Amino acid sequence: MSNDSFFNEDWLEIQRKYWDNWAEMGRKAMGVEGERKMTTPWEGALDHWWKAMSPAAPDFSNGFMEKMMEQGKNFFRMAETFSNSSNQTPPTDGIAWWTKALEDMQKQFTGSLDDGGNTMQRMMSFWEMPLDNWQRMMSSMSPMPGDMLRNMPHEHFKDRLDRALSAPGLGYTREEQSQYQELMRTSMDYQAALQEYTGFYNRLGMKSVERMGDFIQGVIDSGKSIDSARALYDSWISCCESVYADEVATPEYAKIHGHLVNAQMALKRRMAIMVDENLGAMNMPTRSELRTLQNRLQETRRDNKQLRQALHALEKQVAALNGKPPATALKTSAPATKSAAKPATRTTTRRKTAAKTTSSASDD
Amino acid sequence: MLPIDIRPDKLAQEMFDYSRKLGQGMENLLDADAIDTGVSPKEAVYSEDKLVLYRYDTPADITPEKTPLLIVYALVNRPYMTDIQENRSTIKGLLATGQDVYLIDWGYPDQADSALTLDDYINGYIDRCVDYLCETHEIDKVNILGICQGGAFSLMYASLHPEKVNNLVTMVTPVDFQTPDNLLSAWVQNVDIDLAVDTMGNIPGELLNWTFLSLKPFSLTGQKYVNMVDLLDDPDKVKNFLRMEKWIFDSPDQAGETFRQFTKDFYQHNGFINGGVKLGGKEVDLKNVSCPVLNIYALQDHLVPPDASKALKALVGSKDYTELAFPGGHIGIYVSGKAQKEVTPAIGKWLNERS
Repeated sequence: MSNDSFFNEDWLEIQRKYWDNWAEMGRKAMGVEGERKMTTPWEGALDHWWKAMSPAAPDFSNGFMEKMMEQGKNFFRMAETFSNSSNQTPPTDGIAWWTKALEDMQKQFTGSLDDGGNTMQRMMSFWEMPLDNWQRMMSSMSPMPGDMLRNMPHEHFKDRLDRALSAPGLGYTREEQSQYQELMRTSMDYQAALQEYTGFYNRLGMKSVERMGDFIQGVIDSGKSIDSARALYDSWISCCESVYADEVATPEYAKIHGHLVNAQMALKRRMAIMVDENLGAMNMPTRSELRTLQNRLQETRRDNKQLRQALHALEKQVAALNGKPPATALKTSAPATKSAAKPATRTTTRRKTAAKTTSSASDD
Repeated sequence: MLPIDIRPDKLAQEMFDYSRKLGQGMENLLDADAIDTGVSPKEAVYSEDKLVLYRYDTPADITPEKTPLLIVYALVNRPYMTDIQENRSTIKGLLATGQDVYLIDWGYPDQADSALTLDDYINGYIDRCVDYLCETHEIDKVNILGICQGGAFSLMYASLHPEKVNNLVTMVTPVDFQTPDNLLSAWVQNVDIDLAVDTMGNIPGELLNWTFLSLKPFSLTGQKYVNMVDLLDDPDKVKNFLRMEKWIFDSPDQAGETFRQFTKDFYQHNGFINGGVKLGGKEVDLKNVSCPVLNIYALQDHLVPPDASKALKALVGSKDYTELAFPGGHIGIYVSGKAQKEVTPAIGKWLNERS
């Protein structure tokens, strides 16, 4: 190992001091006090910087900047991950070093590496991005957090629960009991689908590590080296994306995807039915009744518009025969002012957003 | 030599540069005004429900063609993609070639629109817009440019109303919905569309966003923001990025019944290929499309693979069929500098040759 390489034994300590000093200066300059001692210098430095700067940022830019902060942390984590591997077992050659680093990554995906929940785990949480996207999206459409059922264990008592849920309801509340049983069943099915989806991504994580190994072997064979955190990050993204592209094109994934969406819809459907029943009990209009009205109204509107269109065509023909303009013009309600037409805007209720910030930020 | 050999001083410099660019970027964000969408002057000339038909102002030094061009955009995302910024505008390019450009803005459907069907869109809204243009311009036929799903709508319209379409241009339009490289199609095969629509009414834009981002999750929700840091010190590039960001996440909900029919008939049953699509009691058959057709597809399109578009050639009834392959992606075909130079002038030239 050369003394000026990235994997110098003192490297991490030097960097820690550098960023501690840098962040300390920043804190003093910005008047931010009482910050915790940093354990991960790169993230710490970026965090301190952002905490100092963000109060001045407008709301809309906060989200935007935070996205870049998250991703910035991701690629600096890559560098830190590989540096830690080298610190634990100083490499004598490149192959031994990256083999160790990749083994650690694989262990992380199988859950057998205990690094105190620190760097490696956070870096691996990068692979939760697609899952996080799903949870954010579900949260925006649901009163419940998107990750509500994700980690709820159920396998060990699933059979017993299935039996209990299969028991017939009795007495006056028979139908109500049945509704709740169905709600529980659909909840469990969604939970199983979500865990299946998560498991799929964990397997992809393992494959990405292997793909990264192949890539690094190619770097070694070519006699070149990766000399920046950014290049390392881009390579890792490229490996993840190529593995992802291969795997999500399979029939297996199509099934998992379909199961996840269908299970979520079935759960929402069941909840909607129960809400409707309660609304009905309170003599309130239900969603189901509204749908019926919407359908009937649209049928009437469709007929009206077609009749008006046909009438207008006939009027034109008659007018042409008589040599006069038609009595009615095609209906328009367009505003007359040029360039001042109000652009379309959303009228739907603003939805709740993100259940969690991001996998990476939540670990900080 | 180690395969990964990142010198401490270089890493420190990377970190410093990253922070500096973020800082500079925030300044630029503070200075950024509200994100404007759609840059070319236009006038609303017809509206119906949430639909607005716009006519774009022809530049003073250009005499417009007699036959107007109606742009039919997709229901997914918003049509201002075609006019996203001053130097990246398909609309502007078309105006420069003498086209009299009209565009349908579908608006944002809400639950009251959930019962709108494909028939309402094709035989209702589009047909009435065409009638409006024919009446206003005192002509019998219009030129139509359909974009993505709007291209599929245009094909359906041209099949059912061939007497009203003079020339048809389709851009990144899916025709064969089940090519092996069509991920969206593969994913939707196991989705119970009836259950989704019966449950949700309208299909939320968020669900579509998630689906599109899931095509390339690491690039589209992660790496993109790292790459953006390199552009942050340029105020114009920041603004352009924010415009695109707004467009990407500006996804209208989809009217439930239309989504049901479109997804089942086309993604699941491949209706243009296998037949069986009926609107207003009439079968959609692309052999009825007899007008000249210009079919433009993007070679790196991950949403509508080239083969999905190229299938049109074998199905369309027109004797005047032209293809144009663009070396770019689904979005680049409107907004890239190359597209401004190659695609819009080609459309204008093709239309003018057939005016």
